[in-house]
Amino acid sequence: MLDMLFHPAMIRPLVAVIIASIVSSVVGVFTVLRGFSTLSAAITHSSFAGASIAVIYGVNPLLGALAVSLGFSGLTAYASRGNERRADVFVGMMFGFSTAIAVLFLSLARTYTATAWSFIVGDVLGVSLIDLYTLVAVAVVALCIVALFYKEFKFITFDPEAAEAMGLRASLYHYLMVFLIALFSVVAVKVVGIILAVVLLVAPAAAAYEFSHGLERMLSLSLLVSLASGVAGFLLSLYFNVATSAMIGICASAAYLAALLASPKRRRCAKCKEVATSRRVAKEV
Amino acid sequence: MRPVIYVEGLSVAYEDKLALEEVSFELREPAFLSVIGPNGSGKTTLLKALLGMVKPLSGTVEVLGYRVPGEEYEVRRRTGYVPQRERIDPTKPVLVKDVVLMGRVAKRGWGRGLTREDYEAARKALEVVGMEGFWDEPFSHLSGGQQQRVLIARALAVQPQLLLLDEPLSGVDAATQDVILKVLREEARKGVAVVMVTHDLNPLLEVSDYVMLLNKTVVAFGRAEEVLNEYLLARTFMRRVSVVKAGEKVVVSGVDHHA
Repeated sequence: MLDMLFHPAMIRPLVAVIIASIVSSVVGVFTVLRGFSTLSAAITHSSFAGASIAVIYGVNPLLGALAVSLGFSGLTAYASRGNERRADVFVGMMFGFSTAIAVLFLSLARTYTATAWSFIVGDVLGVSLIDLYTLVAVAVVALCIVALFYKEFKFITFDPEAAEAMGLRASLYHYLMVFLIALFSVVAVKVVGIILAVVLLVAPAAAAYEFSHGLERMLSLSLLVSLASGVAGFLLSLYFNVATSAMIGICASAAYLAALLASPKRRRCAKCKEVATSRRVAKEV
Repeated sequence: MRPVIYVEGLSVAYEDKLALEEVSFELREPAFLSVIGPNGSGKTTLLKALLGMVKPLSGTVEVLGYRVPGEEYEVRRRTGYVPQRERIDPTKPVLVKDVVLMGRVAKRGWGRGLTREDYEAARKALEVVGMEGFWDEPFSHLSGGQQQRVLIARALAVQPQLLLLDEPLSGVDAATQDVILKVLREEARKGVAVVMVTHDLNPLLEVSDYVMLLNKTVVAFGRAEEVLNEYLLARTFMRRVSVVKAGEKVVVSGVDHHA
């Protein structure tokens, strides 16, 4: 299996998987902690719409995905400020609207089936050199944003009210976090496709959460789980000759389920319940 | 000399519901001000209005000499803020040192790293609240009272001119309440203006320089001994209240602290 990994034709897809895993592990941590999972699903669907529009106009689909998902994320971030219910409705509406746009434009394209399928489930084996350069550029921008504003993101994630009250421009960092998800969606649309993007984004970070009491540890574990899921999924897909995105999605989901079962936090929670129940029973007696 | 806080005719509404109506008061010098009122009386809204976090319908607000809204970021940079602990999700993975250093992050300006001075200020603030041994502990492992002390340390770490605290005594035991009040009293003595919002009267009667009774509008504002009488408290809480003086201690009964 390792021979396949070092085959010249596999280097480019493998690098794409590693890039997607790195970006998802970092962005995923803030997505999970801020409760942006649904929002991230909506944004990846908007990148699908962008890629579809780009196909019609003969532009690189990744650039189309980037433009539309950035625009959509800006709109969503604006709409979601202040009123949670309105934000929820807006995200739901845009979810459907962007999918409708994607389907509309794909129905106009001659290469409908192949193109649509590649956006929906990813096409990592078909990553071109230009795609790879685009992924690297997007990943560098995303990681630089996190490195530059890491401490501010930590404050906003933990206590947005106090962050704003003590002088941080909370709305600016809110926009930046949503932009990060948009950047990830561009990477994901090529590697795992829109449907499995959320799994790659959320599962490693959620698994890491179960074993972390500090943000740095959660980031490190998330990176580990994400890379392991990505590379293992890639190798298994080659070995069994099945879709790469499906195997990556299965590996990431399995990692999350295993983490949930082995979680010390859940065990502690169960233990607390036991103590509380025994105390209640003792009181009643 | 400009007052620390000057509020004139302040009204704030959320959609179609009035939260504050024609609120006016002035805190001329740094002192310990307790804002007391029942739930839903606009206490938290008042704190937010002082920081420009809610848009007033009308009125004038000046804090530390800066007009709000307009110059609210000047005020926020000089303010230590303690939100209601219930609004924070304690299961988020952060360590005590992360929480205390957050205040310093806000003062640093974007993209600028923390310095040794920031770490020293954070450690000192933890020491002030008696939590210096918890630097590397997960925040989620602390008790409610300990978490509250860490949040106060975060506000102190910014070396503020103004401290705004939203229900810092809520849900903590009497011993922790004593520690918190002692720390806040000391800050007020050092020249920091302390504004504490609470619906729990008894612990703070002896530490407040001024008391404001608030129920959407200012029912009374003045020295604690002038304001804390049965008539004004009954008007504020809309129920019968007894004030019993036992030596230097004053005990208020009849106010449902969890109303």
